Order: sequence, then structure tokens, then C-alpha cells
Amino acid sequence: MNMKKGILFYLRIYRKIVVQDIKSKMSYRADFIISMIGMIFTNICGALGFWLIFQRFPSIDGWNYNEMMFLYGFSLISATPAQCLFDNNWNLRIVVYDGSFIKYCFRPINLFFYYMSEVFDVKGLGQFLFGIIAVAYSWNKLSLPFHWYSLPLFIFMALSASLFVIALLNLASATCFWLVHSFFALQLSNTLRDFAKYPITIFGLTIRNLLTFVIPVAFMAFYPSMPFLRETQVQWQTYLTPVFGIFFLYISYKVWMKGALAYDGTGN
Amino acid sequence: MASPIIQLKNVTKEFKVLNRHEGLAGSIKDLFSQDYKIIRAVDNVSMDIMPGEIVGYLGPNGAGKSTTIKMMTGILKPSEGTIMCNGVVPYDKRTQNAQNIGVVFGQRSQLWWALPAIESFNILRDIYQIEEKKYKDMMNLYGSIVDMDALMHKPVRQMSLGQRTLCDILASFLHDPAVVFLDEPTIGLDVAMKSKIRELIKMLNKERNTTIILTTHDMGDVDALCQRIVIIDKGKMLFDDGIDKLTETFGAYRTLSLSLLSKKEKADEARMNELVQKVTDVLGSNISDKNAFTVSSRDDQIEILLDEKKTNVMKVLNYIQDESRIYDMHLNEISTESVIKKIYEGGLS
Repeated sequence: MNMKKGILFYLRIYRKIVVQDIKSKMSYRADFIISMIGMIFTNICGALGFWLIFQRFPSIDGWNYNEMMFLYGFSLISATPAQCLFDNNWNLRIVVYDGSFIKYCFRPINLFFYYMSEVFDVKGLGQFLFGIIAVAYSWNKLSLPFHWYSLPLFIFMALSASLFVIALLNLASATCFWLVHSFFALQLSNTLRDFAKYPITIFGLTIRNLLTFVIPVAFMAFYPSMPFLRETQVQWQTYLTPVFGIFFLYISYKVWMKGALAYDGTGN
Repeated sequence: MASPIIQLKNVTKEFKVLNRHEGLAGSIKDLFSQDYKIIRAVDNVSMDIMPGEIVGYLGPNGAGKSTTIKMMTGILKPSEGTIMCNGVVPYDKRTQNAQNIGVVFGQRSQLWWALPAIESFNILRDIYQIEEKKYKDMMNLYGSIVDMDALMHKPVRQMSLGQRTLCDILASFLHDPAVVFLDEPTIGLDVAMKSKIRELIKMLNKERNTTIILTTHDMGDVDALCQRIVIIDKGKMLFDDGIDKLTETFGAYRTLSLSLLSKKEKADEARMNELVQKVTDVLGSNISDKNAFTVSSRDDQIEILLDEKKTNVMKVLNYIQDESRIYDMHLNEISTESVIKKIYEGGLS
């Protein structure tokens, strides 16, 4: 028997679990439809808020409505993997406190993978769709150039940016391994993520540095969007987005696992 | 002789617990406090468990049972001593160890909540990399023991507690592990389901020669399944031997039940207490060793737990008959439950 557990092993298990999960979610039809409607409304409201602001101000610090729309769309797209694949982070706090997290500790597979594989959030796909529409719309309105490399670059940048969203979510949820009242961390991470929608040049230097180096929210949309929005103003951070993303994700994984492996089933 | 499948050598587990202070000022103090106390949850426990054994691991709540189990499954690392489980140090090689063990926690299902059991089994087959043939053999074996069709196609969340436990136990044996840990498998189940579960555990143990570590508070489980029991209290091991040795080790106890009231008399609580007191006094004035007997009441009966090494039944009957009329009497062997209860209460050691 081949005991080596490579990526194919995990992919096969993941596919199996996710297919089953989606099947069972569809069986709660009302729940499924209502959450879909909720997701659509959330995004419409978000877009509406944007539109209202720009009814009053034609631009913010040199950034016009369509450019902002692009960033907004980009942030939705880069948040999709976290939303779809790592959504179980939101339940972590609960299973850790009531002790049921221990059931994940007895399987001969990676704990982080096993836990995350349990939930696939279909709603994320709706969010993704909104993001695509917003980006396509603003791309068109801004008459941005579309080169042969634009699409692959966009995918690459969006994926790199998504690493930051995942990492931030992992870190925020992992706080529950050490703290009793850890929900604030998840809320805080969500609030901070809202900053991703804005070009960080509109903030003061302190906040700008904070959002770049401490809580790297600026990497979730702003830096990786620059090659498309303002080709001439690309900063060094843009090039480092994939590297930082991998690094940040790695750190978040290590922290998460450290907490999970120290978990002894008695809560805190 | 075969070598043990699980071996604990002088295992001790200590926890550092913060001494908490009361009130708001206390909580603030706790934030910076270095005032820890050490709690010894498991204290120098050693045991060898042989392949194919069913070991009942008993002890009152908080005795250190689950701490020991968590160390054997690799969740916790002992502070001192070593554990070997199937040739692996569980807390160093947690994932490797997990391949060789199965775990069932009483009321917490480890199956995917929303999926039919058969789908969970399918995923487990991949996770444990169970070969096609082995998987089929196991499913055939299961089919010969329980009605799989009724069980397998229902989502776990729609199952009764009994069905869920059944599925959880089946799932834990699926990859044919060397050791299965069962934590209170029959808790909360009705009598029929309990016996069904016990039957299943017994069959699986026999068919696959799986070693089973069973923690329970239900002596019915112990009587039905275990040849050997280990009793732990306050972290210390009190007993580790065959279940038949239990009564031998802890004295030749027998229970004498007496009816001291005629049918007409009402056996209310006050009257029974009075009788208990009376019998205690009578025996007390005749038997010098106060540990030889314990008097209590159950319904309208007076129950006397006797240590036959220290006194005998006929003498006791004589003493009582001098003072009171005996309408009826029964003599019973002490149940496992009573012995364990006595051990927990510290009456025996």
C-alpha cells in the first residue's frame, strides 16, 4: 500500500467531500435559496453604497468612480477562495469551545486540510460573479488596454491577492485556540478587509504603512490592481505580492497548526 | 508470550493551572499572575495491553481516564514516562498512530453530519487508503452483524443516537485498526440498543482480534465485554487485573438483604432510617471490626454488605434475630457495580 500522501491523495479526498457537501446543501433547498438571495443583496448594497458616494464626489483624491469600482471588484474576486474553501474558519471558535474539535485530531491526514475540507461555501461563487462583472464593467468604462498577457496576469495577481485574504482569516480564527472571546478577531479582520476596496494613497502615511506592513490589506486589491489600473505607477509592492502572499499564508498555517496541535479537547 | 500492543511505562501527566482570584481586581491580577499550581492528572501509571484484549478502563469523573486516553491517542504528551502504541510513540507520530487506531467518543459523531453513512465510509476509505478487497470484506462482515441497508443510506443527522453510535463504531473499525478506543459507547442508550452495541463490539473484537480500550460508567458494559479491568482514581492506578479477581482482591463481599417489617407496617423513610440505625448498633456492639459490615436500606429492605473474611453470615443473622424478627432474607454475591462503587468511595484499598 502506498502510504505517501501527496497532493493527488488530498485532491481526491477533497473532491469527494466537496461533492457530497454541495449535494447535501442543495437538499436544504430553502436554506440554500435564502442564503443565495442574502448574498446577492449584500453585494447589491455594497455596490449601491459606492454609487451613492460618487454621486456626491466625482473623485476621491484623484481616483474616479470606475477605478474604485475596479478595486471593489478585484477585492471581491480575491476574497473568493477564502470564502469558498476556508469558510469553516468561522465555525472554528464554536467547535473548539464545545470540545468537538477533537474529532478532527484522530485522522491520519493533515489537520488543517481535514478541517477546512468539511465546508465548501457556494455563496462565494456568487460573490465571484459580482466581482467579475464589476471589473469587466470598469475595465470597459476606463478603456484600459487589454494585452495578450492581461488575462493570465490578472488571474495570477488575483490568486496572489487571495493568499492574503486566506491568511488573515486563518490568523483571526486561530486566535480561538488561545483566547476565550476570540470573535472580535474575526470581526476585526472583516472590518479591516473593507479597507481593501480603497486605494491606499487616500490614507495618511501611518495608515498606509500599517495596511502594507502590519496588516497587509493593501495587497488584497490595491497593489495587485496597479498593473491594470495605472501601469505607470506600479510600486515595488506589486511585484512582491505573490512572494509576500505565500509567506503570509505559510505563517498563518503554522500558527493555526500550532494552536490545533496544542489543543487537548478540554477547551481553554 | 506475545508482546504488548500498548505499553505505558510510569506515565505521569501534570497540568499547570493558574490560581484564579475572585472579582474584577482578581481577574486583572490573573492577567499578570505567575501563581500556578500543578495538577497531577495521571500519576505513575504503567500497564501492558495485549493484542485482542478488551480492557475496561474505569474511574469516577475526573479520575484521569480521558487524559490517559488522550495520551494513548497522541493528543497529549506525558510529562514523564513513555507510551508505545503498536510500535509507535503516539504523541510523536500522531498521524502515523492515527492510521492504526480507531476512536469513538460517546455522543460526538465523527461522521460527516450531513452525509449518509455510506458516503462517510467512502471518504474514510480514501483517507485510510483501505484496499478495495479489504473494504469489501469489512462491509460483508458488517452486513452479517447488523442490518446495513437500514443504516447506511440515511444522513447521520437524521439518525437516532443509537444508530449514530452504531455507525460510529462501524466507522472506527473500518480500516481494521489494531486498537480501538471506545469512550462511553452506550451512554444515553436504551436497554435494547445497549445490548446490540455490546454484541457488535464483542463480534468485531472476535472477528478482527482488535484490541479495545473501553471507558464507561455502565457496569453492564464491563460485565458483558471486559475480561480485564483497570481502575484509576485521582490519577493513580488502583486495580489492574481480571474481572474475576476483582471481588477476591477487594474482600469476599456478600450482600445480605433482610425484611424486618411485617407486610402491614409502612416502610417510610424515617422508619427505615431507624432500622438502619438499630441494626448498625446491634452489629456494632457485637462485631469489633467496624469495616466488616455496612448497613443501608433499599426500599423496604435492609441491606448489609458483609466482608466474609471478617465475620460471617450466620453470626450476623443471630445478632439481629436476638433483637428483631426477620420476615424474609436474601443472600447475594456482590455485583461488580457495588465493588467499583466501594473502590471509588475509598472504602476499599
